[in-house]
Amino acid sequence: MRRGLMARDESELPQDVLAARLDGLRAAMGRDRLDGFVCYTNLVQPSAVTYLTGFTPYWSDGLLLVPRSGAPVFATALSKRVAGWIASTNPVSEIACTPKPGAAIGTRLAAQGARRVAVLELDRLPGGLFAEIIGAAPAVELIDGSAAFATLRRRIDTAERALIERADMLARTALMQIDPAQVADAGAAAGLAEKQARLHGAEEAYIAVAPNLAGDRRMIRVSGPLPLADRFALRATVAYKGSWVRRTRTFAKDAAAQKAVARTDAWFETVSASIAPGRPIGAHLAAQMPAGATLTDWMAESPIGSYPLEAVASARAPGRDDLPDGGFAVLTVALEIGGTPWLGAAPVFA
Amino acid sequence: MPTPLAEARSARLLEAVAAAGLDLLLVYGNAWQNDYLRYVCDFGILEGQALALLHADGHVILYLDSPLEVDRAEVECAGIEIVHAPDLVGEVDRALDRFRNQRVGSAPHRLIPRKIAARREGLSDATALIDRLLMAKLVCEVDAIRRAARLADEGYAVFRAAARPGRADYELIAEVEAFYRAHGVDDNFQIIGVGGPEVRGMAPPGGKRLKRGDLVTTELTPCVDGYYAQICRTLVVGAPSAEQVAAFALYRTAMEAGITAVRAGITAADIARAENEVFRAHGLGDYVTDAYTRVRGHGVGLFADSKPHILEGVTTRIDAGMTLIVHPNTYHPIVGYLVLGDVVVATEQGCEVLTATPRELFSVSP
Repeated sequence: MRRGLMARDESELPQDVLAARLDGLRAAMGRDRLDGFVCYTNLVQPSAVTYLTGFTPYWSDGLLLVPRSGAPVFATALSKRVAGWIASTNPVSEIACTPKPGAAIGTRLAAQGARRVAVLELDRLPGGLFAEIIGAAPAVELIDGSAAFATLRRRIDTAERALIERADMLARTALMQIDPAQVADAGAAAGLAEKQARLHGAEEAYIAVAPNLAGDRRMIRVSGPLPLADRFALRATVAYKGSWVRRTRTFAKDAAAQKAVARTDAWFETVSASIAPGRPIGAHLAAQMPAGATLTDWMAESPIGSYPLEAVASARAPGRDDLPDGGFAVLTVALEIGGTPWLGAAPVFA
Repeated sequence: MPTPLAEARSARLLEAVAAAGLDLLLVYGNAWQNDYLRYVCDFGILEGQALALLHADGHVILYLDSPLEVDRAEVECAGIEIVHAPDLVGEVDRALDRFRNQRVGSAPHRLIPRKIAARREGLSDATALIDRLLMAKLVCEVDAIRRAARLADEGYAVFRAAARPGRADYELIAEVEAFYRAHGVDDNFQIIGVGGPEVRGMAPPGGKRLKRGDLVTTELTPCVDGYYAQICRTLVVGAPSAEQVAAFALYRTAMEAGITAVRAGITAADIARAENEVFRAHGLGDYVTDAYTRVRGHGVGLFADSKPHILEGVTTRIDAGMTLIVHPNTYHPIVGYLVLGDVVVATEQGCEVLTATPRELFSVSP
């Protein structure tokens, strides 16, 4: 559950930025002849509503209705006692605390005479909320708005970039706490990294560990004693004010291996900083491989819908793996160098 | 190998599924509402969403849309078939096509994705079936909650030690989380309130810095092996005022009245009424209404806020083995929002209190 710093700061996320984002969505709605756009939010699907309002739920769920004109309406099952807190992080919408958020939104749609309304990720919408909406607004045609929203989210604005960079700073700070010569236990390492991220204002911090890279490069959640092998990796997934990044670092205990890891880290930093707009990431990686290295896996994740980070392309499913000018992704890469695995992840901006 | 806890749950669930005449059970889970999924496949999902299909013969297929969670589930969930399904809803919908003539139950029905919930053939609401299992705990489940309760006590001690003037609210929680990650707690639900009469409830930390005279309330809910236990306590920065001491005494009386009421055979309403009567007797009846408070306690287990809710309108029968937190948390018109709560397990004769932190209004030195 979300329990880190959750607050809005006008200097970080000005209201005119939120207004511009809503204008962008309304322009897309106009092109598609939509009377409204509905986005669902909960703990794991917060990003669309965060992008449009600044609000992220720490618990429960809700629906945001952006009508063609007028203020958006956010209906949530969160208790009305926390309406003031919601308003403190969401300055742009009316707030309705109700046990039936779907019915509240449906009632609004019916009252506004809406006929055609898009829902972000319509098929994934909880069935209970969907039933409430159509129960209150049976004449409304609901269509999927995911593609239109993803188009809107292909580029990030300067406010979002600054928040991502702050989240990245927290992730890097968290991983810098790990001294492979000093830390022997995965649970302690995870606790140390998480504490640093949270002490510096992380809204969320998920620390995952591959405790023995030579045996298994899959990352697990660790909360207790587990020995760290000679080569291990930590992944810090960190949110700051609704913007998420991942950073993964590989660690080695002996000095020679540390030098090899440092060289690969430097390579990755160069490669991830040189992602050019319109250039396929997979091809870019393949062309830049360090000597003797094999690219075993890669993945690009972007906040294109309700998920904070969603795989948009990978070695397994290439998809559209270029970023537009102003695009953002988290790039995760796995290499094999001389039979030894190396893992890395970092945000990239095109 | 599955843990003994998971095996015990699985055996009980398969019995219930057979008794209900179901061929398949479809459950949904995410990091917020994970109890139904945990009951079926013992996976604590963090990112993305999951659907799991339990066959009547015990075979489980866990569908995950996050590739990172697939990696983790493959390591953590022995004996479960894991499927990476980037198109989670489409993949499971197609899987259900293969069972058109089977009786399929789903839970929690309200969270089943729309496209799947819209299937007309044979998808029934099995939420109540699992709800009954979630509420009436096995002995091994109560043991897990007992372990979580101990860590709730220890976590609160870390919280108290971290509280001092000038520190930000989120820094206190950071200290607790670091302790928990090193001590077997992989999740924690925690909200906080800092201040005086202006504080109407608890919320996530907003960056407030502690100062002398502040009441610092928290609801701390560590998760051990999937099971949550909760503790609610209030501390004062500096010496408490006479008003704060008097208000706390009232909340303590109310909580103890609620705990005294707990035993097998009563209803959730009886517990709420016992707590609320104390407030009403002191002229504070308005403050036990939903204008000021949400619930007077709730179940704990595989969800941090599970059924039954302790409210005067809830007639759910309390059975031996149910685990509850009794917390008369509400706004006090003179001192502000105040909390106090302990986890109990109901028995035939009464209840056993699982948390051991003293029921004090703690004071931390400036």
